[in-house]
Amino acid sequence: MEYFISQIVNGICQGSIYALMAIGYSVIVGVVGFATFTHGEVIIMGAFAAYYAFQFIGSIHFALGIVAAFAASWLVGIFVYKICYEHFFEAPRHIALICTIAISILLKNLMQIVFGAARKPMINIIKNKIYTFGMIQITKVQIIIMLTVVLLSVLLLLVFKKTRWGVSLRAISQDKSGAAIIGVNVKRNALLGNCIGSGLAGVAGFLIAISYAILYPSMGSTFGMKALTASVLGGLTSIPLAAIGGLIIGLIENIGITFTSATYRDIFAFAFLMIMLLIRPQGFASKKGGRP
Amino acid sequence: MAMLKVEDLSVNYGYITALTKASIEVEKGEIVTLIGSNGAGKTTMLMSVSNVIQKSSGKVSFKDEDITRKASHKIVKSGICHVPEGRKIFPALSVYENLWLGTVGHGDYNRKKLQELVERQYDIFPRLKERRNQAGGSLSGGEQQMLAIARGLMMEPELIMLDEPSLGLAPIVVEEIFELILKIQKSGKTVLLIEQNAAMALSIANRGYVLQNGRIVLQGRGIDLLHNEEVKRLYLGADE
Repeated sequence: MEYFISQIVNGICQGSIYALMAIGYSVIVGVVGFATFTHGEVIIMGAFAAYYAFQFIGSIHFALGIVAAFAASWLVGIFVYKICYEHFFEAPRHIALICTIAISILLKNLMQIVFGAARKPMINIIKNKIYTFGMIQITKVQIIIMLTVVLLSVLLLLVFKKTRWGVSLRAISQDKSGAAIIGVNVKRNALLGNCIGSGLAGVAGFLIAISYAILYPSMGSTFGMKALTASVLGGLTSIPLAAIGGLIIGLIENIGITFTSATYRDIFAFAFLMIMLLIRPQGFASKKGGRP
Repeated sequence: MAMLKVEDLSVNYGYITALTKASIEVEKGEIVTLIGSNGAGKTTMLMSVSNVIQKSSGKVSFKDEDITRKASHKIVKSGICHVPEGRKIFPALSVYENLWLGTVGHGDYNRKKLQELVERQYDIFPRLKERRNQAGGSLSGGEQQMLAIARGLMMEPELIMLDEPSLGLAPIVVEEIFELILKIQKSGKTVLLIEQNAAMALSIANRGYVLQNGRIVLQGRGIDLLHNEEVKRLYLGADE
């Protein structure tokens, strides 16, 4: 029973990281209008940026890791946008899609050349402590991870609800030509949206590296797929629903492995996606503001 | 000097010609209407003015400035607002947020100014005030059209281009919208109006243009066009 409860706690923690990835994914899909397959590499790029920031700067402050991860993935976001999206807004959608697959392979291999393909231990930046509340045990790392995710989500929500710029990003995700007509600079905002989404993914990668205490270039692809899965569960462009999707996937994985073995972790996430798509292909979303 | 001047505009969609050497002029303070049947190129005309589609040739100038190749968002900033066909409001955003987005177009803006502008729209459209926190998509068709126009007025434009504001609305609501257009003109703005409802449009317009297969075939004062035999036969459904 205690094992089960601790798996639920682990599931929520891991789910919150997936949620952050999925939020990033949904921002990208919503604002840019294309699905992306570079998300996994962007995630790991964030983790590596934090790793090397700790090594070169010497300080091992948690905030430094977040800033480094966010900034590096932001730059990768610009790179991906310039190559995969900028010229293809008028083109058939699969062209940008295939382009992101190519960039994903390129980035993965570049990282293996530059950073080395071997697994690196992530520097232990948080002294681990275990807190016990009754039957629930939770580590300090987990608490910090969850707080970071909540903080970033609230920040994003405030930007999207309370600033004119955020509202215009939401408008773009609903109707690009409609937004252009009322004076929104669609291309520049699409670039910024792509960067925000990538930045959040990078921070998620940093959190993953802390929670697994390991990082290597090829670990991104599974996470990219999980971000996609969570985002699909939420209906691809809905940010809150994508976050819920991420949480659910984290929970299902961790509850699933209590009954089997950790080797089968990924099966649960993707099996759940398939079942969901068979029963409710539109995800959790119910169309808001639509009139019958 | 005309406020908006479109000269010899041609637009092609692939092999299909949408506009052929069409020229129109809009003077300050006028209501100018563009009528024509489906596919005549009316909407294409507006879309080329706001530069959301590719033009093949021709020149568009606004207040003596060449805006043929200017980016859409900059055109809005220079004072042209386009209320598109089918309203294009943002269905998942609230009425207030939709209005708020109308201000994206202009450079100087602050909270106080936003509040002032929104209040002004609420005065003209009391219904929107009642529904300010409702999602735009949940409004009725007429209310959505009013929201689209109100959002356009939030830009404080000098020229407002309305694309079929009466589309799919009940006759009584259409009348309300047309009264509103006259009110907009009285407040000192210039209106370029596209309409299927030719009789209504010509009766409020100072001048009108008739588009047919991408060409301007007739032009003149609204009242003259209203009594023109050709126009009557083609668009007003008079008996032979």
